[in-house]
Amino acid sequence: MRLQYARRIQVLSGALGLIALAIVVQMTRIQNSPEAAFFRQQASVYAYELQTFYPDRGEIYDRNGHLLAGNKSVYEIGVDLNIVKDSHAIASAVSLELGMDYAQVIDAIENPSEGIYYVVLSDFVEVEPAVRLQELKKSLQDNAEEGVLGSLTGLEFKSHPQRSYPENSLASNVIGFVSREGRGYFGVEEKYDILLAGSPVQAFVPTDPNKAFEIPRVMNGTTLVLTINRDLQAAAEQILDEALDTYGADGGTIVIMDPRDGELLAMAVTPRMDLNQFWNYGTIYDNASEFNSAISMPYEPGSVTKILTMAAALDSGTVTPGTTYLDTGAILVGGATIQNWNQEPWGLQDMTGCLQHSLNVCMATISTQMGAGTFYGYMDGFGFGHLTGVDLAGEAAGRLKLPGDEDWYPVDLGTNSFGQGLSATPMQIMMAASAIANHGRTVTPHALHAMVRDGRQYNVPAQFGGSPISEQTADTLSDMLVVSLESEGSLALLPGYRVAGKTGTAQIPVGGFYDSTQTNASFIGWGPADDPQFMIYVWLERPSASIWGSETAAPVFGEMAEKTVVLLDIPPDYIRQQVVAK
Amino acid sequence: MNIQNVDHLVHAYKIAPWRIQRQWIGNALLVVVVLAMVATIYLDVTSQAAITGREIQDLTVSISDNQQVSADLQTKLALLTSARVMEQRALEIGFRPMKSEETEYLVVPGYLILEPDILSSVPLLQLSALTIPPEYNESLLDWMDKKIINSVRGIQ
Repeated sequence: MRLQYARRIQVLSGALGLIALAIVVQMTRIQNSPEAAFFRQQASVYAYELQTFYPDRGEIYDRNGHLLAGNKSVYEIGVDLNIVKDSHAIASAVSLELGMDYAQVIDAIENPSEGIYYVVLSDFVEVEPAVRLQELKKSLQDNAEEGVLGSLTGLEFKSHPQRSYPENSLASNVIGFVSREGRGYFGVEEKYDILLAGSPVQAFVPTDPNKAFEIPRVMNGTTLVLTINRDLQAAAEQILDEALDTYGADGGTIVIMDPRDGELLAMAVTPRMDLNQFWNYGTIYDNASEFNSAISMPYEPGSVTKILTMAAALDSGTVTPGTTYLDTGAILVGGATIQNWNQEPWGLQDMTGCLQHSLNVCMATISTQMGAGTFYGYMDGFGFGHLTGVDLAGEAAGRLKLPGDEDWYPVDLGTNSFGQGLSATPMQIMMAASAIANHGRTVTPHALHAMVRDGRQYNVPAQFGGSPISEQTADTLSDMLVVSLESEGSLALLPGYRVAGKTGTAQIPVGGFYDSTQTNASFIGWGPADDPQFMIYVWLERPSASIWGSETAAPVFGEMAEKTVVLLDIPPDYIRQQVVAK
Repeated sequence: MNIQNVDHLVHAYKIAPWRIQRQWIGNALLVVVVLAMVATIYLDVTSQAAITGREIQDLTVSISDNQQVSADLQTKLALLTSARVMEQRALEIGFRPMKSEETEYLVVPGYLILEPDILSSVPLLQLSALTIPPEYNESLLDWMDKKIINSVRGIQ
């Protein structure tokens, strides 16, 4: 009996063991069957879903933390064709709210391309209409009978960021803009496009919550802090616009730079555009160089170049401030006669007088005394013909013809000395003149003050271009320019502050000849002369009220300088001297 | 009943076949219970990890939404305080632009103009694999593997 019981147990155990083994074998077989592989493949399709991440493009601030370029939400509105209930209701709502054509919407929903299950009806829709549509969809769903879908079922909303410029056209030439494809054009938007980034990124995201750690980390773009002072920029643009009205100029530029480190404090140009409506670019500008004439539009600067010729002459020892010269009103250089602006002789002059009266003959005399090698060596050192390296997209280099070039003639040595026969942008002239204001060293102009990424701020250090002249030459010439302005009783003078500067009136070549009725009026100046904290360049194109820079650009400089000392809290000279004395 | 009989009975009890079978059954059940406990713990840890993973997914979406809302609000604020709007408001309430000769400067010994170091808001750290501790993405088997590997390395 006991033996029989044990045998039964053994049989039962064996049977159960076989069943268990069969189960394991079957499990293994199923796991490794072609069907299992197929299902695994099917599952893998749903294990990850392709998502598009829209990282925020880095913001752009002015030096005081005012937002110049940020991001706002807009909507892509589309239709999920798999769950559309009433295409006519969708078409009615969308055409009413977004102003789209009813028939086109119906056609897009009812006649999609092969294999398409989602149709985009409109993108970059502002928040207000999108929210109204969302609320309409919700209310229709709420009012529908239980278990019945609302008539706007299938209408989908996807929000994503879009570039926004709260200051509209302010500093548009410095900032640039971003297209809907996310690419930066002009200004810092183009120059630092990679840093600002923010391009949409497509990535496979695991749907399995156990793989949450695989969610990709999409870095936001780097935030930029510009050297621009928003309030000073607004003032510069206002003064420039008023100047165009007052003097009847076709266009203009005002640039304000800190000559100690090259930080651009303001850069106003005309025309400007509302960056929120960048699609108007083609109607505002004829060509790309007009977007920021301060860096992209070289022109013959005229007499402002005389300060550089004088710097070269003083530094090379060709002249001293006290060197006298008898002005006869004309000089022959390279077979051509060069005359003064009023075609009159000015008699005995010292070098300060040459600058004060802006004598072409004096400058041509000095440049010929220096010789082409010395003169062009200094001009090259000042950066003529080279890019300044300003961190804004679209900079042009201008042109400085050199002996040996096919189109260089001996007369150019004379005409170049007073700013004719060469071309430069306002930015190049400022960089060159920074050597005089900054004790002999040129500064590289820049618009980027700092970068902020992951909560850390990286300040951009000042860069210096070179030392074309000595400190002594620079300081001497600066004093000469102060005296020449004060002696002249210039309209550029600012009560309480010593400023150094020089006017420029350059006739514009038309059909191969200079037209005496059309001029570019310029002024470059800096102050306070003993400790320069601002350098201002004014350029008015074809002023009709007066052709002279002294009567148009100089008073604009004076007005701008007054605004600058107020906004930058620069006290009058006597107050500063009290502080220094203490 | 004498002592010898008692010893005999105890011996018979010890070698009884049903008792050995019970021991086997008991041991087998013990193994089953241990396996069930391990499976229960594994299931619990796995489900907790899944819940946490889902929370992480939700929080990631939430962070993204909040960042977008924050960017919207920042832009709206910038619009309301733009240079043109502020100037307009100042003029409306009776202010006018100041001229340089109207400025009065006071010399304050030792005063330095402070410039802000950080000019923009500090972005929050984003969720990433590096910020999630291993407890939230490691299975029980992974944890055991790691322990075994570490102990083997310790022995070596």
